[in-house]
Amino acid sequence: MSFFGFEERTLERGKDRRSEQDEDLAVYTWGEENYDGLGDALQEDHDDLNDETFGAAGELGKDFDFSNQALPDRNNFTRSANAIVEDRPPQSSTPLTLESIWDDKSPFSLRLNGSNRTQLPRGESPAISSQHRQQSGIRTLQEIEAEMRVSADQSRQEALLQQRQQQYYLEQQRLQQQQQKQREEEELLLRQEEEREFQRQRLLYQQEQAQQLHLQRFQQQQQLLQQREQHQHRRTPPPRMLPVSQSPRFMEHQQRQILLLQHQQEQQQLLRLQQLQEQLRVEELERQLRSQHISSVTPDRQPSGPTLADMEALQHQQLRQQSQSPATRSGPHRPAPLEDSLPYLPQSIQLQQRLLSEMAQAEFLREMQGLSQADQEALRVEAMRKILEAEKMEEKRRRKAAKIAHMSRYNDLMTQSDKDFITRIQVSQLVSQDPYADDFYAQVYGAIVRSRMGLSADDERVLKFGASGGVALGAPTKGGNRRPNAMQRMQQQVERIVSNARKREEEKGLHSLHSLQGALGKTSGRSYKAAPRQLLQVDSNSAPSSSPTLSHAQPHAHISKADSISKSSSEAAANAARIGRETLDNGETLVRMEPLTQREILVTLENMYDLVLNVEQLRRDQPHPEDGEEVLEQWSQDFDKLVDQMWTQLKVMLPLATSTPHPFISLLSAAKGKKILPRVTRHFDQQRMNTLLTLLIACFSQLDIISHAALLDTLEDTPERADVERQTQAFLSSVLQSILPIIVKGNLRLVCGLVGLLMHGQDIVAIAKSRPGLALLTLFLTRVEVIKEGEVDEIPTQEDFAQWQLMFDHLFQLLTPEFPLLFPSTRMAEHLPRDQPHINIPGIDSLDQPVWQFLAALALQASSTQHQILVSSLREKVLDNVLSAKRGWVVDEEDRSTKLANVDLFLHALGLDSSQITM
Amino acid sequence: MDGSSSGIQEPFDLIRLSLSERVFVKLRGDREMTGILHAYDGHMNLILSDVEETIMIVNEGEQATVNVAKRKMDMLFVRGDGVILVSPPSRT
Repeated sequence: MSFFGFEERTLERGKDRRSEQDEDLAVYTWGEENYDGLGDALQEDHDDLNDETFGAAGELGKDFDFSNQALPDRNNFTRSANAIVEDRPPQSSTPLTLESIWDDKSPFSLRLNGSNRTQLPRGESPAISSQHRQQSGIRTLQEIEAEMRVSADQSRQEALLQQRQQQYYLEQQRLQQQQQKQREEEELLLRQEEEREFQRQRLLYQQEQAQQLHLQRFQQQQQLLQQREQHQHRRTPPPRMLPVSQSPRFMEHQQRQILLLQHQQEQQQLLRLQQLQEQLRVEELERQLRSQHISSVTPDRQPSGPTLADMEALQHQQLRQQSQSPATRSGPHRPAPLEDSLPYLPQSIQLQQRLLSEMAQAEFLREMQGLSQADQEALRVEAMRKILEAEKMEEKRRRKAAKIAHMSRYNDLMTQSDKDFITRIQVSQLVSQDPYADDFYAQVYGAIVRSRMGLSADDERVLKFGASGGVALGAPTKGGNRRPNAMQRMQQQVERIVSNARKREEEKGLHSLHSLQGALGKTSGRSYKAAPRQLLQVDSNSAPSSSPTLSHAQPHAHISKADSISKSSSEAAANAARIGRETLDNGETLVRMEPLTQREILVTLENMYDLVLNVEQLRRDQPHPEDGEEVLEQWSQDFDKLVDQMWTQLKVMLPLATSTPHPFISLLSAAKGKKILPRVTRHFDQQRMNTLLTLLIACFSQLDIISHAALLDTLEDTPERADVERQTQAFLSSVLQSILPIIVKGNLRLVCGLVGLLMHGQDIVAIAKSRPGLALLTLFLTRVEVIKEGEVDEIPTQEDFAQWQLMFDHLFQLLTPEFPLLFPSTRMAEHLPRDQPHINIPGIDSLDQPVWQFLAALALQASSTQHQILVSSLREKVLDNVLSAKRGWVVDEEDRSTKLANVDLFLHALGLDSSQITM
Repeated sequence: MDGSSSGIQEPFDLIRLSLSERVFVKLRGDREMTGILHAYDGHMNLILSDVEETIMIVNEGEQATVNVAKRKMDMLFVRGDGVILVSPPSRT
């Protein structure tokens, strides 16, 4: 049942269910000012059978028949005062006088004090009411009600009619205003030429005709609109989760009531004016009707015209039109009650008027030949364009308004607490113990993005809440003004959640489970221990090699010993020292180990990754200096411990001869072992790095990429070759990158020692034939060149230079017979079919480039005799390149320039140029 | 080196060892593949790169023959429900 929208009959029917009715009626504000007086129209004359029920006898004797149930249950009557109106007891037999009925506080009697009633008989014509009372006590109420009903109906009818007229008038005015506006627009267009004056009048006449047409149409439209409105209001309201008092619909309802009140006040004034004459008329009527029974004037049998219900429905329609949109709630005084329907009107009007004006213009043009045709045409086009533009704008605006109206249906459907609740649910899913790790990839990505944008990469996008957890915020987003606000709100939400959770935790702590333990009796204590008996009892610590996962791993006991060594750094260090000593004494006895198996390598690397991740996390958690000495101390201890563990795991400290390949080199054989090295070495100090570098160089030929380098020279594309290629790339990008800073900063003595190590007991030619080895040698040579040019802090001594010269001569001598074979192109050519040795291998020149670079670096260091050796051994290669470049035996221009650039790289170091070579 | 010191507590830890290594994967529907393992999850969904897939096509008939089809893919997501086994490739 919609508020105030019900019809009286419903009320009447509902009277039987009075308790329900009371509930519903309780919503109405009885006796208050905004009471609408609907109750006045109630038909409450169930008195027809009173005589039969109570006996028509005027006088009551004293001989009551108590056993007979002739009368209605008196107890029932007295029990509820509210029942009075319905029960309608005979006045003579009740202690209640008429006066007491008047003063009755029941809702139905209170109604008498209702707003519409205040002007009615009670105060103004006491004579009448008293007269009624004297004449026939029972009928008085009835009569008065009937009178009042009649008068109310009439006045309301009149008021409504007035209102309708008013509205109609308003609408007409509005229409005229609009047309005025249109006319003005057209005036603008037409004013440009005086000649159009009379045309305008003609147009106006046409418009007026059209206007009348519009008026008719408008009325039809209005009816349609009203129907539409009614239809709209029959829609079911959206579901709501709230008590009525919080719902926005309730607000709307209240608003509507206020509007209703205002409306009624206006009505009341009208009523009051009519009151006096009305009063007179009513008295007259009463006198006439006294002999008849008045019950024939019930609303059901209203003779003609719209019924009260109809009128009320109309009123409500109008009211709804006013209060329909929530957006207009703030302004209850809307001057235009029909604004909602406006968007539908101007369109047709505009259209018609535009047509009219076009017609008029066409006619005008036909008549007015004096004006130049072009001007007129231009004018017309301009006008058309303007009109179209305006229409387009209007269309746009209307669409926008419709969209907003459509969306605003759900405005304020949820209260702030609802939203908070839902946000809490959503956010609670995001809280985690380790927000950084849970959001790891987004965090890392965000750091990369920030560093790319040049911002500080330090700040983490994580909300933290003490030690208990936090929320990861993901990668940063660009701009967005909504974001910070939402973030703030979320932060508050999460803080609330976390504090709530803590509180709950504390409460749990207080009322711990202990208080309930044993409350339901004791358990035997044995039943839950009845696990199946263990048949095998294996001590997992004593027999490591018996582990099923490792049964094949190490047949030798000393490996597990070596592993146990690695468990703690102190032990390992001691052991290493011991091993070192023993190696000096007797290299044969203990030190030799089997090389690490693939499995061991992988397991070690996985541990390594765990350690690296821990260290990186620890670095992020680095305490601030103001956190206090102890915290810092503790942190650096933890950090050092982890770094020590990494150092031990890398097995760098194991003696060189431990195994072939050395365990550390074995670790580097896996691609992920190569890739982890830069992440590990970042945390090592200079001392450790030097050690690591020395070991790497000393065991360089053991590296998989050196021993498998020959595979890269094959031409067919096998999986093995692809794998070596992958490993080589990983080595160049990771391992060399991590040792690069050491070499670049190293002094001549260090470089000298490292080159010596490379040549000592290792196949330097094999190393030089691999890409990483060649890169390393080039690195050494360029470093020495830099040192020689004196761009270093530490000037090397003469001895160091002499030492270096020795080393260099030795290197040169070792490499001399292999110079042409250093080129991948030369080596690959050996795999080419015999009959076509000059086939072009794509990309071969870029593969040769590092070799040319190395040779150039070599030439820079070399003496003049060494220069001659270089030139004579490489003469063929140089000529070959220059020839193929100049004779056009190349795929494209790029290929040619690469060839020449490669040759020049080397020749420039000798002080020559490829252009000096003539064929 | 026993389970606890090597960090192996469950079968999946063995697969973890093969991360960023080449693995051999046997699949339902007579398929096998080798590729570099980049990621896996509890469903044995796998991300492989540089994959070579081998499909056995069995021709039923009087003389049952097996045709082998191979194809290569740069990157592949393998849904876990088809995985029968994951192992390091045999080293020869």
